[in-house]
Amino acid sequence: MGLKIITVLVRVLEGMFVVGAIGSFVVIVLSGIEDLKMLLGREEENHS
Amino acid sequence: MSSFQPTSPSNRVRIVVATSVMLTFISYWRAAAIVLNDLASSAFYACGIAEQAVGKSAPWFIVAVMLFSFAVRAVYVESCSMFVRGGVYRVVKEALGGTLAKLSVSALMFDYILTGPISGVSAGQYIVGLINETFIAADVHGWVPRAVHNLFNGTPHLNVNSTSVVFALAVTIYYWWENTKGIQESSEKALRVMQITTVMVVILLAWSALTLYKSGYQHVPLPTPENLHFSKESLGFLRHSFPEQSLAKMFGLLGILIAFGHSVLAMSGEESLAQVNRELAHPKLKNLKRAAIVIAIYSFVFTGLSALLSVMLIPDAVRVPVYKDNLISGLAMYMWGPLIMRLIFRGFVVVVGFLILSGAVNTAIIGSNGVLNRVSEDGVLADWFRFPHRKYGTSHRIINMIVLLQLITIVASRGDVYVLGEAYAFGVIWSFTFNSLSMLVLRFRYKGVRGWKVPPNLTIAGIEIPIGLFSVFLVLLATALVNLATKSVATVAGVSFSVVFFVIFTVSERVNRKKHALAKEQMKDHFQLLQSDTVDRDSLGIRPGNILVPVRDYNTLNHLRWVLEHSDTKEQDVVVMTARISQFGAAAYSLSSEQIFSDYEQTLFTRAVSVAESVGKKVSLLVVPARDAWSAIAQTAHNLESSAVAAGLSSKMTTAEQAFALGRAWEAIPEPKRQFVLQIVQPDGIVDTFRIGPHTPTMKNEDVVLLHRLWLNVTREPGLENVHHHDILTEALTRFAHDYGVHDHEDIVKELRRHSAEAGPLPVRRIADQIPTVQPGHTRSDRDDGQRDDGPSSPKGSGSE
Repeated sequence: MGLKIITVLVRVLEGMFVVGAIGSFVVIVLSGIEDLKMLLGREEENHS
Repeated sequence: MSSFQPTSPSNRVRIVVATSVMLTFISYWRAAAIVLNDLASSAFYACGIAEQAVGKSAPWFIVAVMLFSFAVRAVYVESCSMFVRGGVYRVVKEALGGTLAKLSVSALMFDYILTGPISGVSAGQYIVGLINETFIAADVHGWVPRAVHNLFNGTPHLNVNSTSVVFALAVTIYYWWENTKGIQESSEKALRVMQITTVMVVILLAWSALTLYKSGYQHVPLPTPENLHFSKESLGFLRHSFPEQSLAKMFGLLGILIAFGHSVLAMSGEESLAQVNRELAHPKLKNLKRAAIVIAIYSFVFTGLSALLSVMLIPDAVRVPVYKDNLISGLAMYMWGPLIMRLIFRGFVVVVGFLILSGAVNTAIIGSNGVLNRVSEDGVLADWFRFPHRKYGTSHRIINMIVLLQLITIVASRGDVYVLGEAYAFGVIWSFTFNSLSMLVLRFRYKGVRGWKVPPNLTIAGIEIPIGLFSVFLVLLATALVNLATKSVATVAGVSFSVVFFVIFTVSERVNRKKHALAKEQMKDHFQLLQSDTVDRDSLGIRPGNILVPVRDYNTLNHLRWVLEHSDTKEQDVVVMTARISQFGAAAYSLSSEQIFSDYEQTLFTRAVSVAESVGKKVSLLVVPARDAWSAIAQTAHNLESSAVAAGLSSKMTTAEQAFALGRAWEAIPEPKRQFVLQIVQPDGIVDTFRIGPHTPTMKNEDVVLLHRLWLNVTREPGLENVHHHDILTEALTRFAHDYGVHDHEDIVKELRRHSAEAGPLPVRRIADQIPTVQPGHTRSDRDDGQRDDGPSSPKGSGSE
């Protein structure tokens, strides 16, 4: 029982990490493109 | 305390509180240099710690962390682009509530306090490693005297950990004293350190590439579960439940997460980005992004590549056993080429390591001091802590507390970088996690202006879902939770520290709440706070040509009395100003007017108004937040179009040094700018007067005689009868400028140094001439630089040419 709970908790943590890592990769790509545009002087506004 | 009787609201004294900090703005290169001084210092110890914890594939995790730091950087850019007033505590409180805000600040403090010990001890490890290696090399060549050899029973050898502790204690105590005296964080110094570091990084990478080509390399195992080899210590609380090597294989991905958690301190220092944001020059957001790009690429190249290269080039037999705590030194020793060249380069690595790591010790004290000052302003730490030092005006009680905690940490660590690194990671990951959580919550709660948002964001049924921000938060939270289980020392130390600080904050907040309620009532009776974004004459209702009187210590207001006794306030307004110094580490957010005008300012202005009332004259009151008192005075005098600044004598500077400091600050103000007179009133009533800005210098008699003789000779030449004295000077200066800029720069500098040495210390009246000036035209005659005067000058009185 105890091991099952630990396994579930570990899988939740692993899930958070994987989902977060994929999303973070998207953040890096999108912000990298923005940075590149800024460095090349073609920045678009992204604010509220 | 107050000498006032209760007054009606209309009779209350008006105080203008400027809420925008008066800063000397810096370029994004300098901002990046300040952050990199902290962030790049991690390269000196992060990979060694990670490899001890997870094995030979550690460099891949360091690379992954550095890549992830690009995403964390985006969160910090968003947090910096929000225009929220209040300190870190207030902002997190707005998002997460008081309890989590206090915990967040506690984690941040843990991060800052640990930065000092780990940097100091690591610098010590590099230095002692070099000393021991030099002893070995000297002994091989028989250069060690027999007596020394006998004393050590063999090759001389220093105990690495103990000596590192002594070194770290010495550096920390040195910076404790410097901070007590009130040194400024210098972007110039940070830039120089980063330039030297860049030279080292370029040599390191180029030489490593040559070594890889000439000598080949070792394979770095891929970051797969089967390649992870956790030590007992690296499993923390889990080591009791799982066999050491089977855990990663049992869960697979968990092992990757644990290894990632052990490498996370490679991005420590990223939080400094928020602190330099306020000082970035216009356009702020663009420059912030530029600085962030420079920081991310630089740290990725330096920390990530040096981690990979260390495993590729340093043999397994010595990498962890010998070089675990000074891995870059080890890298230098295993380059391709002669030993002497490698030793020289290692010496250079140690010098750079010393510069950057000891700088991080200073940054840690400044940052902690800044955060606690701001927390105190937020009413969560008793005002007692913020009471200024009698002589230096610094928050010495906070500095003492921080340094005491750091000294205890250094001694308790016994020079073990691994233990310090584990503990440090706790503060780093939890402060990042709290920050990203706050940003996530504020996406829904805060509806104000944002300069930029972390992408991507998906809008469904009018509700914006911050996918990017949520993803970064998930990675940080998963890592922080795993670290809780796998870093037992860090968890125990971090939780204990946070609980102690949480209790201090909670008790202080309750005490302060009652005290502040009473003080607020008293203040309402006497003062009317008027909030103003910037400092100008309109907000104060004063005329041009006024006298600015900076005050700091309510026990030394003699100069204010002197100004009031010697001026007619019907003709010339007198503005009493105090600068609330905003510490480097706390400059992430603006202050609210209540935070700027605290108990201390209330007491100070109460005394100032008492002085004015005793003389029977009126004064205007002003509080400005600033990073540096001199910049605040110069900028305020400029904005208010003051004709004179009347200051008291500093307890740590001479009058000439004060004039020089103000002159430097004046030079930093962008054109067009106004000149003014500085009068320093000494306790015995003697007044030294200086002109701030370009002015005609006081000439020595022999120089006047020489000029006259030259003029006589020149006017004897045919066709030059009408030449004036100033024509001779123009020609001489033009020639001097040409020679100084092109031909004889070194000779001129040498000659001037000789003159300066022969002349000895300059008399007060000469020092004003040393103030660097750039603005031509509108120079004023030097009526009386440094003379003992008996009244403040007006623009007319100062004798314009």
